Amino acid sequence: MSRRAAGLKAWIWQRLTAIYLGLFILFLLGRLVLDPPLHVAEWRGWLGGPLVSTASLLFVFALLLHAWVGVRDILMDYVRPIALRAGLMSLVIVILLGCGLWAVEILIVARVG
Amino acid sequence: MKFRVFRYNPDEDEQPYLQDFEVAAERGMMLRDALLQIKTQDEGFSFRHSCGEGVCGSDGVNVNGENKLACITPLAELKEPVVVRPFPGRPVIRDLVVDMSQFFQQYRAVQPWLIRKDPLPEHEILQSPEERERLDGLYECILCGCCSTSCPSFWWNPDRFHGPQALLTAWRFLADSRDQAADERLDELEGPYKLFRCHTIMSCVEACPKHLNPTRAIGNIKNLMLKKSI
Ligand code: SF4
Ligand code: SF4
Ligand code: FES
Repeated sequence: MSRRAAGLKAWIWQRLTAIYLGLFILFLLGRLVLDPPLHVAEWRGWLGGPLVSTASLLFVFALLLHAWVGVRDILMDYVRPIALRAGLMSLVIVILLGCGLWAVEILIVARVG
Repeated sequence: MKFRVFRYNPDEDEQPYLQDFEVAAERGMMLRDALLQIKTQDEGFSFRHSCGEGVCGSDGVNVNGENKLACITPLAELKEPVVVRPFPGRPVIRDLVVDMSQFFQQYRAVQPWLIRKDPLPEHEILQSPEERERLDGLYECILCGCCSTSCPSFWWNPDRFHGPQALLTAWRFLADSRDQAADERLDELEGPYKLFRCHTIMSCVEACPKHLNPTRAIGNIKNLMLKKSI
């Protein structure tokens, strides 16, 4: 990358994560429709498998990144005062990171339990 | 035919207001003709216009919520009362006359001229028919501003976002086989504002009286940028 690419990078990440989100949602829906798990244990076992749990983790990561680019765009468009914008952006980062950690915890529990 | 026209004279009026006018519409009349009739009823009424045939780009106004060139908008297509306002988001100078300086500053910022590094040849710089064809749908822009002033991203950041018109022009020169400053032009467009405030809302495409497609041009710029950075 020769360019600083602050705008380009955000745009590319938005596209890439959107593709992955779409694919994963299709995959999830496919599984739910074609072979619905009958009880919690089965669901957990499926979610705890190494492939599915890695894919889910990636999904959470992609979702958070996608959300971040979107919210950042909205804040850049509508919130002009720099201090307020920085404050809101920090708040969003904290919330998104919190969601991320929580999702990781859920996946670990599904794997271990 | 009933008209409701935006009026504002900053020297006299505290607030802008809408004034009703009645115009005798005839077959084939354009909105510009109606505005001219209104001007004979009230000489103080101001709006820009010149060529009367959709070429000069000076009479863009907001009609029933859409940006159009008054001179090529048939009255027959308009619902009554016809509400005529100045372009949204621009500072009003008087009535329908707005200050377009920021729009032209953004145009200037993309360096709308050919940049050559090689010494200029004695004769014209030739293009193949295919190379020439790439400029179709780009060079026809008449700088009327219908697109940029209907773009929400331009409303919020007219000082930092180039807007659809200037970006269409940026692509017009990036796509030109005779131009030799593609890298500099792309570098210039980097950052989160100048190009990337466009969220592909496509209001610009809908507004353009010349049926140009700034959104596609913007997509082409992004793709070229991507190609050059990997
Ligand atoms: S496509 Fe981009 S430039 Fe066109 S109106 Fe939408 S945000 Fe503005
Ligand atoms: S792109 Fe179309 S709407 Fe925009 S300034 Fe040019 S002619 Fe007018
Ligand atoms: S008067 Fe020239 S474009 Fe309408």
